[in-house]
Amino acid sequence: MRLERFLVNAGKTLAVVMILLWSLFPIIFIISSSFKPGREIFAVPPQWLFAPTFDHYVTLWQRWSIFFQGLFNSTIVTIGAASIAVIASTCAGYVYSRTSSRFLNASLVFLIAVRLIPPIVVTLPLFPIVNNLGLADTHFVLSVLYATFFVSLGTVLMRTFIDQIPRELDEAASMDGATMPVILWKVITPLAAPGILAVAVFVVVFAWNEFLFAFIFTSTRAKTAPLVISEMIGSIEGVDWGVLFAASTVQLLPVLLFVMAMNRYLVAGLTSGATKG
Amino acid sequence: MKTSSLWRMMPLLAPTQLLLISVIVIPSIYVVWLSFHASTYGQAATFVGIENYIRVLGDPGFHSALWNTVVLVVVAVHLELLIALGMALLFNSGLWGRRFLLVAVLAPYAVSEVVAVAMWRFLFDQGVGPITVLLNALGLPALEWSYEPSHAMIMIAVLTIWMHLPFTFVILYAARLALPSDLYEAARIDGATRLQSFRRVTMPLLGPAILVALLFRYIFAFRMFSEVWLLTGGGPARTTEVVAVYLYQEAFTYSAFGPASATAWIMVAVSMLLASGYILLLRRQVKNAA
Repeated sequence: MRLERFLVNAGKTLAVVMILLWSLFPIIFIISSSFKPGREIFAVPPQWLFAPTFDHYVTLWQRWSIFFQGLFNSTIVTIGAASIAVIASTCAGYVYSRTSSRFLNASLVFLIAVRLIPPIVVTLPLFPIVNNLGLADTHFVLSVLYATFFVSLGTVLMRTFIDQIPRELDEAASMDGATMPVILWKVITPLAAPGILAVAVFVVVFAWNEFLFAFIFTSTRAKTAPLVISEMIGSIEGVDWGVLFAASTVQLLPVLLFVMAMNRYLVAGLTSGATKG
Repeated sequence: MKTSSLWRMMPLLAPTQLLLISVIVIPSIYVVWLSFHASTYGQAATFVGIENYIRVLGDPGFHSALWNTVVLVVVAVHLELLIALGMALLFNSGLWGRRFLLVAVLAPYAVSEVVAVAMWRFLFDQGVGPITVLLNALGLPALEWSYEPSHAMIMIAVLTIWMHLPFTFVILYAARLALPSDLYEAARIDGATRLQSFRRVTMPLLGPAILVALLFRYIFAFRMFSEVWLLTGGGPARTTEVVAVYLYQEAFTYSAFGPASATAWIMVAVSMLLASGYILLLRRQVKNAA
């Protein structure tokens, strides 16, 4: 009996170690390698003790100023996409939570179905349209695209969160003479803050990291950070791994810390978004 | 709800619906039109009927892309599901520092496809990659993914699982947490062994969550683009292309908008087929809960 318990615990510990290695090793490896001097990056087994250097970051700054332009573009696009998605989904989520009709139910199914169309499908017709409208290579186009692919999930999430706010609050405010926009802004929004954060986490992570749309719709002015990194990977004269790791670290760290800080909202969002249509 | 108040609500619905209709619905319908026409840059479109579909469905390149996609979806998604299920049960069995572990498991969710590709390309680099060196030192064969298509497919599968495991895990773990513990109590009192209570209690009750996770992942794995494009570019010699990469090549490399649109519609059809399964499932759950 005692042996069995020992074996079970040993097995669990081993499993936990494997899970941690699998999830964290590649991330820690990239971050720590970005501080390793030249040849130590390639040392096997990897060196965990070394004199950290900022050489790769200096090179990144000197040779890839376009990367920092990319970070700037990513920031603008991410803020834009998150704002559009949060505002649109809060408004729509409120309607779906407070009213119901056959038409609304049908439109909710429409909402969920549309979200499942592969993004690459719409690039095909949008590419010439965006070019003709003179919107190619702008922050605006990326923000709108990113927001659109998250308003469905956002609406469903906001509905679930707003459902938990008692209707009596709306009614009391309405009796005091508040109009609907005022109720939404003064009563609902503060109480639905966790939902808003959950929606924001999804959009921010997606917009900050997205590759396909940025690849197709931007070329110079609005080029985002992931696109610049992809160019580093693909450079013909061989990859400069140190600089690539430095750029990856800079691109990754903010969003990684954000996800870690927001993990509660992410989990709440994932579960209610996928299972409560 | 009265119709009048529904009308008052319309302005609130408008932003969401307008975005979806103008960015996704109308372009998707336009793709249908394109798929029945032959067109390229600077040339008026001419109606060709279903010729584009015939061309795509008869193209060996499409066959191999479709085959690769199906293999990746079947192998990677199911493997991912098994790992996630195992992890969910492990987490539920009482672990020390679960909060921290959960955050650690979620970490890959924050990593972009581009950075993930950079990581795994380096780890498996055929010259200097630590995993390659380690495997060689152990006398094991390393992945020759840059010129051996089947090895490249393994790399893509590993990468996809690494990136999407957090999602599948969270869905299953949340579902497992929601199971009432008195069921297990009852099973124990009835003399059920652990294996029996897993088979008769856990599995049937987790069934819906497993299906939701699976359908979601089928739909998202089916549209996979960036992982493949950044890792192999579809090469060597277009052997590792998936459907989305095939579409991209037809549209943006060969400017063959007709066949590309036909491919796009095949993708939409498959996605919608999977999606209708998902929506049916949700409706049944809603009915059961009511």
